[in-house]
Amino acid sequence: MYYDGSRTEPTLRAWGLCKSFGTGEMRTEALRDVGIELYPGQFSLLMGPSGSGKSTLLAVLSGLLHPDSGRVLAHDQDLWAMTERQREEFRLRHCGFIFQGYNLFPALTARQQLEMVLRWGKGYSASEARRRADQMLSTLGLAKKGDLRPMQLSGGEKQRVAIGRALIKDPTFLFADEPTAALDWKHGEQVVELLRAAAHDAGATILVVAHDARMVPYADRVFHLDDGVLAEGVERPMAMFADSRDVAAFGAI
Amino acid sequence: MSYAISTLWHERARFFPGVLAVAFSALLIALQCGLLLGLFSITSIPIDESDADIWVAHPEVPSVDLGRPIPEAWASYLAMPEVVRVEPYMEGFGYWDKPTGGMELCLVIGSRLGPGAMGPVRQLTAEHRALLAQPGAIVVDEAEMGRLGISKVGDYTEIVGKQVRVVGTVRGLRSLAGPYVFCSLETARSILRPPPDQTTFLLVRCRSKEDIPTVVERLKKYDRKLMAMAAEDFSVRSRWHWLTKTKAGIALGLAAILGLMVGAVVTYQTLRSATVASLKEYAVLRALGIPRRHVIGLVVGQSFWVGLAGIAISIPLIHSLAIVGNIGAKVLLPWWLWTAAISITMTVAMLSGLLALRTLRHVEPVTLLR
Repeated sequence: MYYDGSRTEPTLRAWGLCKSFGTGEMRTEALRDVGIELYPGQFSLLMGPSGSGKSTLLAVLSGLLHPDSGRVLAHDQDLWAMTERQREEFRLRHCGFIFQGYNLFPALTARQQLEMVLRWGKGYSASEARRRADQMLSTLGLAKKGDLRPMQLSGGEKQRVAIGRALIKDPTFLFADEPTAALDWKHGEQVVELLRAAAHDAGATILVVAHDARMVPYADRVFHLDDGVLAEGVERPMAMFADSRDVAAFGAI
Repeated sequence: MSYAISTLWHERARFFPGVLAVAFSALLIALQCGLLLGLFSITSIPIDESDADIWVAHPEVPSVDLGRPIPEAWASYLAMPEVVRVEPYMEGFGYWDKPTGGMELCLVIGSRLGPGAMGPVRQLTAEHRALLAQPGAIVVDEAEMGRLGISKVGDYTEIVGKQVRVVGTVRGLRSLAGPYVFCSLETARSILRPPPDQTTFLLVRCRSKEDIPTVVERLKKYDRKLMAMAAEDFSVRSRWHWLTKTKAGIALGLAAILGLMVGAVVTYQTLRSATVASLKEYAVLRALGIPRRHVIGLVVGQSFWVGLAGIAISIPLIHSLAIVGNIGAKVLLPWWLWTAAISITMTVAMLSGLLALRTLRHVEPVTLLR
């Protein structure tokens, strides 16, 4: 199933977002009156130079960092009007995160890293968590790596486990910060494909912070943030950049 | 297998110092206290190695070796159906004239020796008892012979001017203060010269062990100037007196506390560094909305397993060191000491874990976004 974002209501709306750091002369404005709408089933890319405020915007939209002003409505709920506990519950129910570092527990196997989220987050039984973790690992092409620990996995495999950890609880939002930064393009491309599939197949709303232009052809929408000001780039760049393989993959569009 | 155990096993090099620290603490507490108990159990040997159910004494007697004269006529209080036997027991310190020159303070203990007598220590054989019936016959511990300046059985010497003869030796009855000198009631009287009709203790045997509390209670009511205690209670009273009076207990106790503190600090540092090393992973879980209690449970779980592993290592160590210790000294490890050592070290390990939890305050998912 392919979700066509343009025909549905946005799952995440934000407007008037401002955020600054420091005081006096050291004060920097990371976000200046930023507004954005994100739709389900869309893989959106947030680009911009270093220090442009990309990660800050991701943190504010995902409920991790309080903005100075502005509102964020996720599933029509005002994220920043919630209590800390409510926000945590919202993240538990709806959000997945992928960070630059893999941040996997060194002592736990790939399977345990995923199981942990289901058992602790969703209260699944050990056997059910294991079944789902194995299912996810096989989707990620890691079916035979379930018993390996991070040290025994390559960078690409580790990032795929991290993606699995973000996706295993079927989030409606997936926020990723430079998920391909530590990977060569071959592995980076796999990661991008997985994220795009999560949007298109599962209908998740995906926002990825990146500065690698090679990701642009895979994105449904591209946003540029420069000096705290957001602008939307070309919509559906797929149509312009896609190679024959991509076109085949999207034959159903 | 829980995530805490997985982590502990796969990062065992990291957790090892904490495990060792817990083991060290448990070892120190158990052995220090065991040595202390062993040391002071010596003071109650006359009670523990004899056969009386109840000891009747002067109310101000703090310990079995510090007896004071009481009227032998108190025996009349004991004319009750629950009591089957009463006998006097003489005891007191006297100067031993060393044949090699000099004096040594010794503790003279005189009791009845006949069949069914309660006073003699178990180490005195039938042969000893027969020999002790002779006036002036005494038995000492063979390890004390050098201290007493005698070289063999049959040697003569004087105690407070009264001639005595060593007719035999026993083993394992060395004393903390003056050496024990075992003899008959008559020999003890002739050495110690108590006032007429006085004794140091009255030993009581009851019809059955169940009668002991009844008899003790009744005796207390008869005469407030009289102290009657079950043998076990008098034994504890004697040990406790020396434990507190000599301050040795305090010194060893402080050493144990010091060990515990070292253990606590190392365990805390170990758990803290392990927690700090995983702060980013915990931050991811927080970002995913995993309730904080699970992460807390993981850290506390780690401290529990560190504590348990440390205790598991310490148990065979304590056993073997106690065996080694028993060669030159006496180490007593009653069940309650095991329980106390294990619970205290476990509590300290858990507290270290709770302290390490403070580092979790630094877990902020937003720090993962650079």
